[in-house]
Amino acid sequence: MLKIGKLAALVDVSIDTLRYYEREGLIEPVDRSESGYRVYDKESARRIHFIKQAQHCGFTLAEIRELLVLRGREKACCGDVRSRAIEKKLQIEHKIRVMRAMSKALDQLIVECADEAQPVKECTIIAALERATVLMPAPGHES
Amino acid sequence: MKVELFYSPGCSQCAVVREDLKATAERTVAGIEWRELSVLEDLDYAVELGVLSLPAIAVDGELLFSSLPTPHQLRDALIRRSTTRN
Repeated sequence: MLKIGKLAALVDVSIDTLRYYEREGLIEPVDRSESGYRVYDKESARRIHFIKQAQHCGFTLAEIRELLVLRGREKACCGDVRSRAIEKKLQIEHKIRVMRAMSKALDQLIVECADEAQPVKECTIIAALERATVLMPAPGHES
Repeated sequence: MKVELFYSPGCSQCAVVREDLKATAERTVAGIEWRELSVLEDLDYAVELGVLSLPAIAVDGELLFSSLPTPHQLRDALIRRSTTRN
């Protein structure tokens, strides 16, 4: 059995993060010590590794909560998890596209701003950003 | 008119209803083209259309449904679209 400090050190996250996970319903202590401290077991550590790995893959905490439910549900199958992974990939690919478009727009602005000695009031980058349309990605259908 | 259904391979929800949707589309618009695309094989195209969740349906290259519609909803959307085109 581990107190929160030991668990935090074991899984390499802060105590605040563990408390946050707990508030979000992602982990819960298995018991309380005689002095009232929360105590956790090795399954808690495995669960936190799972959460960290899923966050690294781009899943939000709400999505991770669903994955954890699937992980513990006997009737769930790998296909349920795979569908979520495919949707996450779609979302990431979509973000990559938007970021690429933004990067191109910045290239254009950087080229247009050839005179570095110009006063900032005449800066073409500032002017373009104030026009506010240059960096806006094409609207996607996200409903 | 071209209807494209994007699905995730192994999606049991899609398999059950897509025949119904296909039949509805074919009944609603004569000569309609119906395509079923595995998102893993056509990922770039799906991303280009803005598909973020599955299953999804695009009509003539425009994403209309980001979850499976009922046959009635699909029929209404196709009718609206063919009216706009004509």
